Parts: sequence; C-alpha cells; structure tokens
Amino acid sequence: MMERLLLWLALCATSLPSLAADPLVIFSGRSDKFVKPVVEAFSRDTGVEVVLHSAKSTELLNKLRLEGARTEADLFLSNDAGNLQKGSDFGLFRPLHESVVAVIDPGLRSTDNSWVGLSARARVLVVNTDDSKMEFLHSVFDLAEPRLKGRLAITNSANESFIAGTTVYMLKAGTDKTRAWLEGLKANAGGQVYAKHSKIVADVAAGRKSVGLVNHYYIYRHLDKHPDAPIRILLPDQGDDGMGVAWNVAGVAISKYSKHPDAEKLVEYLLSEQGQQLFAEENREYPTRKGIPAAREVPAAGSYKVANVPMAALGEQRDATLDLLDQVGMP
Amino acid sequence: MTGRRFSPALPAVLVTLCAAIPLLFVVYSSIQLPADRWSVLWSNRLPGLLWNTLSLAGLVAIGTLVLGISSAWLVARRNFPGRRLAVWLMVLPLAIPSYVFAHIYTELFEPDGWLGSAWQTVFADVIAIPDIYSMGGAALVLTLGGFSYVYLLVRASLLYSSRTLEEAARMQGASPTEVFWRVNLPLLRPAIAAGLAVVVLHVLSDFGAVSMLRVQTFTLSIYLQMSGRFDYQSAAGLSLVLVLLSLTFLVVERYFRRRQRYYSSGVLHSHVELQQASLRETLLVWAWLGLITLFALLLPLAWMLTWTWHAIEHHMLDAVFWGYAGNSLLVSGLAATLALLAALPVALLHARRHSLLSHTCVQLASVGFVLPGPVIALGFLTFVLAWVSPLYGGLALLVMALAFRFLPLSIQSQEAALQQLTPAIEQAGRMLGAGPLENFRRVVLPMIQGGMATAWVLVFIETLKELPATLLLRPTGFDTLPVRIWIEASEEMLELAAPAALMLVLGALPAVWIMLRGELHMHRRKQKTKQPEQVMPVPA
Repeated sequence: MMERLLLWLALCATSLPSLAADPLVIFSGRSDKFVKPVVEAFSRDTGVEVVLHSAKSTELLNKLRLEGARTEADLFLSNDAGNLQKGSDFGLFRPLHESVVAVIDPGLRSTDNSWVGLSARARVLVVNTDDSKMEFLHSVFDLAEPRLKGRLAITNSANESFIAGTTVYMLKAGTDKTRAWLEGLKANAGGQVYAKHSKIVADVAAGRKSVGLVNHYYIYRHLDKHPDAPIRILLPDQGDDGMGVAWNVAGVAISKYSKHPDAEKLVEYLLSEQGQQLFAEENREYPTRKGIPAAREVPAAGSYKVANVPMAALGEQRDATLDLLDQVGMP
Repeated sequence: MTGRRFSPALPAVLVTLCAAIPLLFVVYSSIQLPADRWSVLWSNRLPGLLWNTLSLAGLVAIGTLVLGISSAWLVARRNFPGRRLAVWLMVLPLAIPSYVFAHIYTELFEPDGWLGSAWQTVFADVIAIPDIYSMGGAALVLTLGGFSYVYLLVRASLLYSSRTLEEAARMQGASPTEVFWRVNLPLLRPAIAAGLAVVVLHVLSDFGAVSMLRVQTFTLSIYLQMSGRFDYQSAAGLSLVLVLLSLTFLVVERYFRRRQRYYSSGVLHSHVELQQASLRETLLVWAWLGLITLFALLLPLAWMLTWTWHAIEHHMLDAVFWGYAGNSLLVSGLAATLALLAALPVALLHARRHSLLSHTCVQLASVGFVLPGPVIALGFLTFVLAWVSPLYGGLALLVMALAFRFLPLSIQSQEAALQQLTPAIEQAGRMLGAGPLENFRRVVLPMIQGGMATAWVLVFIETLKELPATLLLRPTGFDTLPVRIWIEASEEMLELAAPAALMLVLGALPAVWIMLRGELHMHRRKQKTKQPEQVMPVPA
C-alpha cells in the first residue's frame, strides 16, 4: 500500500514538467490581463503553446539570476525598463536581431538590442473632478504639499513604475529635491500605500482620495467600466520650465539560455502591427512601433512634453533610487 | 538493553539541520549587510515597523482572547440547544485563509458591498463607512481568522480540567462571574498562553492580509525588500530582527507557562453534567455565538457561494480551474506527508528523554514558526541551487520548503501522542524478541497513530492555505488555488477568486472533521475509564 502510494507520488512529481510538450515559457512581470490577450492571439495564429509564469518583474529577474543556465524561461517580459536594463547588465539576455527591432525607436530599446520596448506608458496624475481644491496641481512635486495630507494615493515603493518615475525625477530635478518630495509623499500618504494602480483610480473616483500618481492607462480602464466616474487625467510638469512627463516602457528579452526555436517568433509577433495594435487597443498603452497611434481617448504621443531620459538610464540609476527610497524609509 | 533501541538521534539531527537552512541563510546574508545600510534600516524603517507590527499583534491578541475564551467557555460549561453545532461553527473559520478574509472584507465594505450599503442605510451620512484598509481592519480580519486557535486550546483545557475548584468556589458563595475571573482564568493561563503564541506568531508572519489591507508590518516590508532589490541583505537584516522579536516573545510565553505548571497538573476528574442554560441564557449565548459565526463564517461563505454561482452560470470553472485544485491537493498532501516523516524522529527523541540534544533539535526545527514564508522559501532556493541543484526544477523544492515551514506543528502534535509511550512498553517489546525496527512498527507506531493523523491534518490545512513560499517556489506554470486567488483577486476577478477560496474551505473540511472527531473520541474514552470515579456521590 505504502509502496504503491510512493510510486504514484514519484510518478506525479517526475511527470509534471514533461506533461506539457515543450511550450514557450514566459516569465511575465506584467499583470495577466495586459499580456494574455496578445499571447493568446499569438498561440491562435501560430499554434505555439505558451506558458505564462506570472509574478513581480524584479522577483522574476532575481529568479532568472539565481537559476542561471537551469532556467526554464525562454522570454522575460517586464513592466519596467529598469528591470530589463538590469537584466542586460547582469548578462542574462541574448541580443535580438537588428532586423527584428529596427521598427522601434532606438530610445525605446537597449543600445545592444538585448531588450526591446513593446509599449510605453506615461506617469500621470488622476484627479477627482468633484474636488475643487485640486486646481493648484500642475507638477508631480505639488503632490508633496501638506494640504494633500490624507488625500493622496500612491503605490508602495517596491512598485516598478514608482521606482522608475522616481528615477526620472531624480535625474531631472536632483537628489535633494526628490528626497524632500518623497518625504512629503510619505507624510501625505500616512503610511497607507497601495499595491495596485487600479485601486488608486477606483478610490479617487469614489472620492476616498483626491489625487493619485498612476500610469495613464489605468484611468481609461476604469472609465471603460464606469464612463461617468468623476476623474480626469492631468499631464504634469508641462510648460516651458516643466521637466515633462516621465515615460517608461514595458518590454521583452530572450533568455541567454533559451533553446526554444519560437522565442524570436514571439518577439516578432509582439512587434508586428497586429501585436502592437493589441497593446494600443486592449491596454491603452503607447505602441513603440513607429506609425501605430495610441487609442483615441489617450493624449497623443508628441502632443505633450515628455521628460528627456533614455530608458536605459532607468536601469543604470535604479540602485541609487532604491538607496534614496530606503533613506527616506518610503513605505 | 536500552542501548540497542532504535535510536532516532541521527535522523533527528539531519532533519534539524535541514530545518535550520533558512536561519543560516538569514544570518549569513545579514552579516554581509554593510554597516551604513544597517544604520539606515535602524533609523528609518525599524521604528515604524516595530510599532505597526507590535500594535497589530496586540490588537489581534486582545480580539482573539475575547472571542476565543468566551466561545470556549460557553460551549464547555453550558448546555444549550445546538451546542454540538456551535462546537463546529467556532472551528471552521480556521479553514479560511487570512488573505481570503481580507479580500472578502474589502469587498463587503465597499460602498456598494453588503456591509457598506447596510452601513449607509443605518447611519445614512452621519458616520462614514469604516476604513477597512487600516490597522483596525487588519486586526479585525486576523482576529476572525485566528480566534479559533485560542478557542480550541481553551476548550480542550476546560474539558479536561477539574470542576471541583469551581464547585468549591460556588459553594463559598462566589458568583459565576467571580468564579470565571478567580478560578477559571488562572487555571486556563497555560492554554491561553499557548493559544496566544500561535495567534501572535501567525500575525508576525502574516503576509497576504496585511499586504491587501496595506499595513506595513515586518513580513510585508521584508517581502517588498526582497522583491524590489537585487540583493537580499536588507530583507535578511529585517528578518533577523523579526526572528529575535519572535524568540523574545516565545521565551516570555514559556516563562509564563512554566510558572503556571503547578495549576495544570494534578487533574483528576472530568466531565460532570453541564449546567443547563435557561431560555434567556440560551438566547444570549446564541446571540453572541451567532454574531461571531456571522462575521467569521457565514458572511465569507455567502460571499464565496454568490460569486461561485456567478462563475458556474458563466461557465468559468473549466478544466484549468480543476487543475489548480489538483495542484493544491497534490502539494499539500506531499508536504504534509514529508513533514510527518521528518517530525517523527525529532518528536521521538524529545519524548523519550529530554536532553540538551533533544531540546536543541526541537527549538531549531521550530524555525519555520518564526521566519516569514518568503524568507524560508528563499533560504531553501539558495541552498538547493548552490548545493543540490538536481533537486531544482520540479516539485521537490516547493514540497521541502512547505514541509519545513510547518514542521513545528507536526512535531508538537506527534510529541503529545508520544508522551504516552513509556520506556517500559518499548522494552517489553524488545524482551519479547522484536528487533528495533519491528518494535517500532508493531509497538510504537500503533500507539501514536492518532497524533500522527492530527499532525498530518494540521500541516495539510496550513499548506493548502500557504501563499508566499508557493508564489516563489512553484515550478514554471504550476499554479495552486492560493496563487490563483492572489492573481485573480488583485485583478478583481471575483468570479475566479471566489470558487478557488471555496475549494480551499471544502478541502480543509474533512481535515477539520478528522481532528475534531479524534478529540471527541479521546474524550469519550477518557470518560469511560473515569466512570468508577464518577459514581462517587457528589454532594448536591
């Protein structure tokens, strides 16, 4: 009896990895809902089976590093250029063919083509339109104003988009100003920080908070479900002396150890007009491929000022940002 | 003769070494943390984290004491219609993981949620809906999910403790309230201390509920440090502080229990007819127990059923979903079995003779209780990749980490069973010619079967609910129910989170049943053996 049980368990344990006939494995640091539509379209069109292993980007990058050559991952999909550039610095990726990535603006991919941006997002403010006291807001630095105490919604400081945004502000406005800003944010958030951007938008819409710092597409996703929600987008730091909106890209890289023949094919698919349109339509992001417009309701790329920071800098400056966040004790 | 008994020392030491891997990892990594980063941690993070963690633990301790002791006293000391049902209702919340409680309560307190809209109807716009995303909210959720531990231990203690003292006090003219405060409560102190220890350690290591309710505690901060940085030194440094905190707490708790040992020994009689509750009392009792049941069980269950029905209507429960359920059962079953086998030599060693070695083994093997799940996972991951990399890739690593995380539960349950095993019994077996292994199989094993079942069940329930270590160590594409609840709940896919949560509760039900049945069985046996004593005339 015991022997049979053990035999059965051993069978289960060993047969598990081999059950799926060599699918393409993606370590995905993006929410399932942003990735699934396009990955499912790829599987439908090509017949290649894909396994999505979802977790946080940095967690997965750490996993890739620890695993080394033993990794099962063929591709690493991240919501953040900082992580992608870090992975590139760690030597975890193999370069993509120039022909594949040529359609993408060089500023939105790494210099050695070890990763490529798939879709871009703008770091914006979401403001409750019923709250008349929010008229003073023009810059992200206004979020540190004491009058926003208890009214401000931000994510926790382990959030990749928060880290990347802070890096941009540090590069454009200097470390001291950014430190003072973070201290103001910390005081205004009152130790209560969010795990998800979607919850921030929902709370601003419900009037529980007046303003939130989010990626632009979360606003439109909320308006999809609640067209009458009292919220508006505010593009911060415009005007001649403004530093511009912080941008970040989600991107993809191929693991140095991947042997799967279709890994490159998926990257090509994600960069094709069809794939890029899915990012624009389903996710309301900015496609990185030249000539594909963002969704109509999203402020068009080029119609506002964007902070002039190359994406690779988000990786190079990441450690400095983390140290600053630690010094402030950002929750 | 005793020298040739089957000696569990070697396997016990091996198990202990394995269990200590995460602790070694924490110490090793935090040694590498540079002094300037330590000082940053000390001055900027630690004060806030300490305050948050300790006040949360304090609030939950108070909450679980009030709910746990009151409910245990009522079902153990009063006879009222539906008492057998109440015994069950107070245990079942254990099957609901804290992050499920947290998620459900955030939904219920939404302005359009059941509680939120009820609140608005009653209080109109006078009092705003309480903010569940707060220390108070987290305390509520963790209290509802944890009071059953206190209930179980206090109830067991009340069941087996003598009523002579209570009767004496009554005859001296003490009121029931006075009896409770001056007789029951002091006698219950060891059980309360043990229950509180379990509850507080759960709070200290809770990850899911606090991260959903945005309360910055040690474990959450450690997880964020781990998942935001490319080195683990800060996370390890914080873990080391957390370990010291938990150990301090455990030492204080032991000290309390040791001083109280005098009271709990010398128990002779058990079970006198329970006092029949009057109609008025029955109503009051059920009002209180009903209130607890409503919030700790009925509301969450109703929520799960509603959304599960929704999912069924929309045909969302496909083969993929059942795959997650299967994965959960497989992992939990394997981990519970491994924990059972690993705990046996340690428990055996400690039960036979309390020695320095056995104490060390038991303490070190309990490290799973004081380290947060993600850190345990990381410790095993690092170790396996560096030293035994063939183990990597399949389920082995996950099962190993989970088994060792909940090893202390298994050791404790088995140790309790092994106490009945006197050396004389084992020696008798050997004198009759049984070899060490045969003796173990034919004498020891049958005697401790009950304790082993409880051990297996406890670990099974805990692994079924486990989230952070599974998130980190699951094989590629291998999702369990908690992982799916985590993913779906954070994306507000209620239709998929609810059936997964419901499956977890259903999966734990048979386990709870086995546990309670075992306890009742033991109780009945005890009653039978005590019968002659009960015949003695009791002054009316």
